[in-house]
Amino acid sequence: MSLVTLDPGAGQAVKSLLSERGIQGPVRIELQFTGCCDPSLGLIVDTLRESDLVEELEGLTFVISPETHELAGEVRISCTDEAGRNRFVLTSSKPVGEWDGLITCSIRM
Amino acid sequence: MDQYKLFIDGEFVDAADGKTFETIDPGTGLPIATVAKAGTADAEAAIAAARRAFDSGVWSGLDISARIAILQDFADQISQQGVRMVATECMDAGQTIAYAKLIVTWASLLMRNLSTYALTKFPMEEEILASGNPFSPGREYVRREPVGVCVGIVPWNFPTALAMWKIAPALIMGNTIVVKPASNTPLTALILAEAAKAAGIPKGVLNVIPGPGGELGKTLCTHPDVDKIAFTGSTEVGREIMRMASDTVKRVTLELGGKSANIILDDADMDLAVEGACVGTFLHQGQICESGTRVLVPSKIYDEFVDRMKKRAEALRIGYQLDPTSHMGPVVSKEQLATVEHYVKLGQEEGAELITGGKRVEVKGMEGGYYYAPTIFANVDNKMRIAQEEIFGPVVCVIKYDGDEEAVAIANDSIYGLAGGVFSSNIARAERIARGVRTGTMWINNYHVFAEYCPFGGYKQSGVGRELGHWGLEEYTQIKRIHVNAISDRDTNYTFTFMSDNKKLAGFTYNCPTAVVAGHGSLSSICKAIVDLGCRRALILTDPGVRKAGLTDLVKNALADFCVGIYDDIPQDPDLESVDGATAMARELDADCIVSVGGGSVIDAAKTACVALKNGGKANDYLNRWYALTEPQTPHIVVPTTAGTGSEVTNIVAITDKTAGRKLFIADPRITPNAAILDPRFTMTLPKDMTVGSAMDAMTHAVEAVCSIMANPICDGQAFHAIRLISENLPLVAADGKNEKARLNMQIAATVAGWSFTVAQVGLAHAMAHTVGTLHHVPHGAACGIVLPKVMRFNVDHATSKLAQVAQALGVDTKGMAERDAALAAADAVEALMKKVGHPMRLRDVGVPEEGLPICAFHALADSAILFNPRPTGNPGEVLELYKQAY
Repeated sequence: MSLVTLDPGAGQAVKSLLSERGIQGPVRIELQFTGCCDPSLGLIVDTLRESDLVEELEGLTFVISPETHELAGEVRISCTDEAGRNRFVLTSSKPVGEWDGLITCSIRM
Repeated sequence: MDQYKLFIDGEFVDAADGKTFETIDPGTGLPIATVAKAGTADAEAAIAAARRAFDSGVWSGLDISARIAILQDFADQISQQGVRMVATECMDAGQTIAYAKLIVTWASLLMRNLSTYALTKFPMEEEILASGNPFSPGREYVRREPVGVCVGIVPWNFPTALAMWKIAPALIMGNTIVVKPASNTPLTALILAEAAKAAGIPKGVLNVIPGPGGELGKTLCTHPDVDKIAFTGSTEVGREIMRMASDTVKRVTLELGGKSANIILDDADMDLAVEGACVGTFLHQGQICESGTRVLVPSKIYDEFVDRMKKRAEALRIGYQLDPTSHMGPVVSKEQLATVEHYVKLGQEEGAELITGGKRVEVKGMEGGYYYAPTIFANVDNKMRIAQEEIFGPVVCVIKYDGDEEAVAIANDSIYGLAGGVFSSNIARAERIARGVRTGTMWINNYHVFAEYCPFGGYKQSGVGRELGHWGLEEYTQIKRIHVNAISDRDTNYTFTFMSDNKKLAGFTYNCPTAVVAGHGSLSSICKAIVDLGCRRALILTDPGVRKAGLTDLVKNALADFCVGIYDDIPQDPDLESVDGATAMARELDADCIVSVGGGSVIDAAKTACVALKNGGKANDYLNRWYALTEPQTPHIVVPTTAGTGSEVTNIVAITDKTAGRKLFIADPRITPNAAILDPRFTMTLPKDMTVGSAMDAMTHAVEAVCSIMANPICDGQAFHAIRLISENLPLVAADGKNEKARLNMQIAATVAGWSFTVAQVGLAHAMAHTVGTLHHVPHGAACGIVLPKVMRFNVDHATSKLAQVAQALGVDTKGMAERDAALAAADAVEALMKKVGHPMRLRDVGVPEEGLPICAFHALADSAILFNPRPTGNPGEVLELYKQAY
């Protein structure tokens, strides 16, 4: 089973955001945005850690901790154009919260 | 295992697709019930039921007392379910039993108290006593009406209480509601539905549909039949809800995330502060949106505070939530547990110092539960993610600061603004800090304290709107303004004249409340006037000239012991400073009424001072307002020393703002003086030029009042008599200023003209006179006189009959004349009178430069007096032509 899948256009949108900021480096899928609506998955540009699980897709490096992967399973990333700004919807084979699929996020740099 | 169903349209039903889900006890990790899992079809059915119930009026149409009676029964039914609800709340949400007892009890109390408040204190209808619009009189009031179909989305940390935060105000105010509890904690909302059904709340008014937010959220937040969404949850979900709701412009109340600062001051009681910091963070395992998860501690007590907080945290007992000895239970789910662990790891990577905790806890016999130790990070930089992001677990950041200002700055350095605390032995200092922190709630020497009459909600990204209390009830209402026209007649409607060739208004309201005492020696009545008004301490307002002439002393002597002082610094064209000076003196002397002795300037200053005295503050706080006062002002008695302005009986003032270089006005029936004493001795020493000028002001009031679109038979009678009196008596006082009888008649003429125009208004002549007065300092009466005949001729075809009657009042024999010729003769007669009494005839005679006329024309068009002129004009060329004729 793969760690990450990208919907059409999502990979290009990630690349565009990274190149706008002149940033390279792996994009981590992590738990974030908690609160009384359950946690959700988010994206952050980060460094590679020894224990990380890694997946290369469309020239991008995605990393995820084993704990988060165990909790969420396979993560699917799609892109949504919200008021001209790319945002991402992360869903997982094992939803981490009941609002899975509704929350959008950007990439934390 | 218990089974729960959806509650839609008054019935407990399975999900349309038959799906169910299990709800888990976080203390054991084991399922405790199966629950019907609502999908899109169920959400649509619930919305449809709520819509039908609302539109039918079965709930919204009930008298509020009938609605409240049912809701009190609802509260009783909740109480009857109390033991079951407490146990279920504990097992579903992980609340310790001691805490759950309070929270669940509060749910029924909340309904009882808020509904009683709504019945007895909430203004369902409010009269607007002063509308601010003098052109369209009538009754104005607002009604609070229900919004319609509401959606309440409830989180998992306080499933019962937060459901009631939405259900109670929504139902009290007559709305219907669809409640979506959190999927982790669906049970108690369904028990509330049982209580509602038992209480007889009509079907469809309350609907409860547990199910996944990601699936139901879109339907609930975008459905066109939903009018309002009330959501408690994370900022991220709240942002999406607001965005979805915007497509159909739904109202939203959002109570979102927080990263609240709990500020410990160096003078705080250490025992209290340590306990406040621990309770503020670790209560309910930190799963409270307003938790004080950033504890700010001053450097000089930092080490001691952290050490004591560590000891206290390590003494907390973690155990199964139904064990009454447990201080802390489990976090709500394995996902939440994983998130807490993730952030603790992140904090360590960021360089924060883990003082205690940072690990799962195993509770004997409850190995599957989601328990986590209270965790303290020290030496945290406020920029770290653990200090900026909501962790929603038992994790606290202790941040060092130096000085109160830095503490406030750190507290405000957050995207959130939900709540916070200050611990100090100096309440004044703590309040200063509380005011500086940008949050919706601040607790001083306390934390996590709620009350049904106190509002809760956030600044910044912590939310929109407020829940609880009066403010929370307001959020579930719409405001409807109802205007009931005072006179239901097409021809008495100022607004309708804009699309009509008939500008004249037929009906009218006449209210001129000033008591007038007139005649030689009438000053003796002043003490009776004072006591009739219930006053004992009069301050005299006057100007230096009047005082020098000895007139003020006459009044002072007549007032005897009732006079507490004299303010004699009112200038010609009174300004804000002089009014404020008079007001300050009145306050200092504890005056309970004002006696103004002087001309229009003094009277206007006194009227304004009366408003400031009554309402507090300064004159400028009340100027440029129309019909804004709602109750009687400080009593005011006038002793006029001129005969012209009529200000002793009118409802308008003009005060100069020297800084802005313009006149400011108040127009309001409440500023009309209470009494006027027309004693001719007070005008006997008035110089001839002022006598003549002020008389032409009165003449212009009268002529413009009869010609105005607001003219009416009462004012006409007054105005014609004023014209007659001026025509007959002005030549006498011009020839002999000591003619007391003629002086008295001129005083009466000015007062009667004042009554006339305060209702009927004035017109273009006043607009033009105001302008040359302001721009070229022409005395108002003189300016009025010069332009009046020109304006009368300009209006001749729009006020022909009235002007012809003016001619008769001026003594013109109109027998045999065509009406239009008679009207024109009125203008000739005014000019003849002016010549006879030595009034200036041309603007050039009073210092107006010819090159200044064009700009005057533009300014005159902007003067409000022009609104009432019988001949409509918006053409600067026409007004300029009139100025040229007068030049």
